Amino acid sequence: MLYPTQFDVIVIGGGHAGAEAALAAARMGMKTLLLTHNIETLGQMSCNPSIGGIGKGHLVKEVDALGGAMAAATDEAGIQFRILNSSKGPAVRATRAQADRVLYRQAVRSRLENQPNLWLFQQAVDDLLLEQDRVVGVVTQLGLHFRAQAIVLTAGTFLAGLVHVGLSNYQAGRAGDPPSITLAHRLRELALPVKRFKTGTPPRIDGRTLDYSVMVEQPGDIPAPAFSFLGDPARHPRQLPCWITSTNSHTHEIIRGGLDRSPLYTGLIEGVGPRYCPSIEDKITRFSGKDAHQIFVEPEGLSTHEIYPNGISTSLPFDVQVELVRSIRGFENAHITRPGYAIEYDYFDPVGLKNSLETKTIHGLFFAGQINGTTGYEEAAAQGILAGINAGLSVQEKEAWHPTRDQAYLGVMVDDLITRGVVEPYRMFTSRAEHRLLLREDNADLRLTEEGRRLGVVDDARWQYFEVKREAIASEQERLKSTWVNPRLLPQEDAERVLGKGIEHEYSLLDLLRRPDVDYPALMTLPGAGPGVSDLKVSEQVEIQAKYQGYISRQLEEIARHQHYETMALPPELDYREVHGLSIEGQHKLNQHKPETLGQAARISGVTPAAISVLLVHLKRGVPQIKTVSNSKKSA
Amino acid sequence: MPSTDIIAAIATAPGRGGIGVVRVSGNGLADFALALLGKTPKPRVATLSNFLAANGNTIDQGVALFFSAPHSYTGEDVLELQGHGGAAVLRMVLGRCLELGARPAEPGEFTKRAFLNNKMDLAQAESVADLIDASTTEAAKSAMRSLRGEFSGAVHRLVESLINLRMLVEAMLDFPEEDIDFLAESNAFGQLAEIRTQLGNVFRQARQGSLLREGLHVVLIGQPNVGKSSLLNRLAGEEVAIVTPVAGTTRDAIRQHIEIEGVPLHFIDTAGLRDTEDEVEKMGIARTWSAIRQANAALLLVDAAQGVAPADQEIIAALPPGIPLLRIFNKIDLLDQGPRATSDDGAMDIYLSAKTGVGIDLLHDHLLRAVGWQSGSEGLFMARARHLGALHEAEEHLALAEECNGQIELFAEELRLAQDALSSITGEFTADDLLGEIFSRFCIGK
Repeated sequence: MLYPTQFDVIVIGGGHAGAEAALAAARMGMKTLLLTHNIETLGQMSCNPSIGGIGKGHLVKEVDALGGAMAAATDEAGIQFRILNSSKGPAVRATRAQADRVLYRQAVRSRLENQPNLWLFQQAVDDLLLEQDRVVGVVTQLGLHFRAQAIVLTAGTFLAGLVHVGLSNYQAGRAGDPPSITLAHRLRELALPVKRFKTGTPPRIDGRTLDYSVMVEQPGDIPAPAFSFLGDPARHPRQLPCWITSTNSHTHEIIRGGLDRSPLYTGLIEGVGPRYCPSIEDKITRFSGKDAHQIFVEPEGLSTHEIYPNGISTSLPFDVQVELVRSIRGFENAHITRPGYAIEYDYFDPVGLKNSLETKTIHGLFFAGQINGTTGYEEAAAQGILAGINAGLSVQEKEAWHPTRDQAYLGVMVDDLITRGVVEPYRMFTSRAEHRLLLREDNADLRLTEEGRRLGVVDDARWQYFEVKREAIASEQERLKSTWVNPRLLPQEDAERVLGKGIEHEYSLLDLLRRPDVDYPALMTLPGAGPGVSDLKVSEQVEIQAKYQGYISRQLEEIARHQHYETMALPPELDYREVHGLSIEGQHKLNQHKPETLGQAARISGVTPAAISVLLVHLKRGVPQIKTVSNSKKSA
Repeated sequence: MPSTDIIAAIATAPGRGGIGVVRVSGNGLADFALALLGKTPKPRVATLSNFLAANGNTIDQGVALFFSAPHSYTGEDVLELQGHGGAAVLRMVLGRCLELGARPAEPGEFTKRAFLNNKMDLAQAESVADLIDASTTEAAKSAMRSLRGEFSGAVHRLVESLINLRMLVEAMLDFPEEDIDFLAESNAFGQLAEIRTQLGNVFRQARQGSLLREGLHVVLIGQPNVGKSSLLNRLAGEEVAIVTPVAGTTRDAIRQHIEIEGVPLHFIDTAGLRDTEDEVEKMGIARTWSAIRQANAALLLVDAAQGVAPADQEIIAALPPGIPLLRIFNKIDLLDQGPRATSDDGAMDIYLSAKTGVGIDLLHDHLLRAVGWQSGSEGLFMARARHLGALHEAEEHLALAEECNGQIELFAEELRLAQDALSSITGEFTADDLLGEIFSRFCIGK
């Protein structure tokens, strides 16, 4: 049966990527359908119950700046909030929250259900409808045909998912959900470059069987920060602490004793797992000198006793899991509610994507989230919103959009994915961003909200709030720049209190704020300086921009220097074997990647600066604007 | 076109010749010319001028030609400095240009700029790609040669220390929740100071006799009285700064340096190699052997009338495998023979007379070829200049890092830029490479 409504955009999957994609497309006015195999699990956190962290918090703020749901949903569901790296500089500070799984799902679902232009339908998808090299719709398990102009596929770990516990394994999308086998087969037939990854989770524990008195309490920050730029900490639910304990040498002995039945160490698992999030069996094998590993005991929510012991992800057999869990301090009587497991799944080599997240081979088909070889809710959500926006733009027949590497972590991630591919599940770290000082949590809105507004994903309320804030920052900066402090009119005691010592000539307030040991509130107490702005978000922004100014302008200069080549387009049909002067390796790599711009080409490993020069020359040859050679002296 | 930085290079092929040209290209060269020449020459007018050092002393006197954009070879402002041809003088002029803010040009970069600024027609395009390709290969060879010996070891130790420090700093920033004390702040600054000391040593090594001490090594085998000194003097010909015996103890290998076409050659005399019971002398001999093992080529000099001596045979047998060997039969004037070069089982035989000079040109060419040198290539000096440029840039960032008191993310930024600067020497080091270092060293992740 052909479903009678024709949609603009269909999103397959209702996880973190799918939710943001569907919401974004709908906010742009696209008639959008979200297809999920189970409406009850929309917005499910399949792994640890937390959002954010270093690099990841940055992504969440960027999604929020584009009008996305993740930060706001976390504010509604968060039961502990912390700022990591709070003692370090603003560029590396990041928000992290523990979330109540049930509240989080509710927050996401209610946004999906109340979003105009968005329809939900519960049914697994088995096939894509193609016409030549363009996708035109999907076929569900019951044979229903839905038609749309753009499809966003966010299948997570469901494609040919295989769950391992010890030496037994079964097909599943995650524990408790069926996998997508038919669709996985179908996608393999489309000759998209498919590979296997692996990830895992720890066993879940009944918190009533734990002895917290022997663990270290880890409270949230007071006052708690809000995640969303529009968030209000006063509206957070009740807050809970986390707890910290650790493994010991006895635990490690138990694990070693079970390795002969580990799917990881017997070769049963073929997929590659992440190096930064190893299973406990991997940790003790690779770092055998370390006699204890931290475990963060994280509450799963306000309405459940279940806890998530973060740090002991494992696919060991269940009997070993019980024994190892009970060897941990405070876990002596622990009752496991759900076994830990590893899951292997299909992903698609992201080198096959454009920076809009559209596949290079099938028009109108976009991929977002774990299917692209990434890991993490935040990475998924960020790709989801980008894919949703670009699906919308493609229906509107507008040019695709993507943030650049100097504009957003989202830009860094997508560029890394498509130019370098992935060799392990990709997770964001701030060290991936060469413009880290520009890409801060605190200025995500300043970096992206205006773009979001232009693209149609930022609503009036957010836009008005943003405009007021931006204006307040600009006018306060202007005031500080034009307010001068005269050394003769500055009392010595004020100078010493605020600046450390007297000043030798006139300075503007902005100059003084640039000094590393002068802060805004203190500066405002100088005679004639105050009272300043009362909105902390505004004063914080003024201060950070002043302190980082030298670095920011240097990075901006560097960006400007590369701009010209960065955006120079390479024709998609170019056969690099015909480019004169390219090395064989260069030809091969470039043909494999088919980069969209010269900037992308330069970041492909194995493509040398000389190859880029040769490409420049090649591109230039196509431009018919040759002037005569000047009569100055020539030489080779 | 985007704004471009200023590039400079020695434009004439290395070698003797009446004049040598340093070419500079970039936007806004008028000020540059003013600093270098004390005036800005009128465009397109050959102007006799002094080339001035930073302290105002004259490095050389010659003709300056200024072409203002877009009427120049590259389409940018171009300054051509035609000075006296000697390699040493040319290097000083280029060195001064680099001091004034130019960077050493990449291989083929002048031509590339000319092409990109529409200064060439379509037919020439093919040759531009070829030129970039060929000169890149050549430059890569030169870069390899520049990186030989102690300089290489020092640079690599430096980069390793830098990577280690970056690994700790980045781990501290990206993984604050781990129960690992990656780095105490004072320790970070301590390590930085150590790296800067290392860098200082690298500079010292690079400057000390710069290329002279680290040129190509040639083993000179031959008994006393076969004419080694006169051969070396002949080879050095009209070059400036000809034969420079380097002091060492008399028991060390005797080393002599000459330059041919600007290529520094470093001769190790093996005359002192003989059996001995003297412990100190034994040490000297061991050092000579180790020098021989690192040599790039070997010259065997024999009296054409006498042939190869048994002592020479022994040394030849001990040469590293694959090293090019030139057998020189000297004193052909006494035998009334003409000069010739013949090749035989991989060795090259050259008949010449060091005394009269006949056949020296043959040796000259074959020797350069044997050490892999092609005339007209841009050479070792540019390669080394690029390396030093990169080290200088790194040093600037390390100095800034020291001033980031307590602001660890700024510290990290300067370290990143320092390593970026060194990537032209060591190859690209990506964020992923750095993360790989962290994950292999520390157990990260929940």
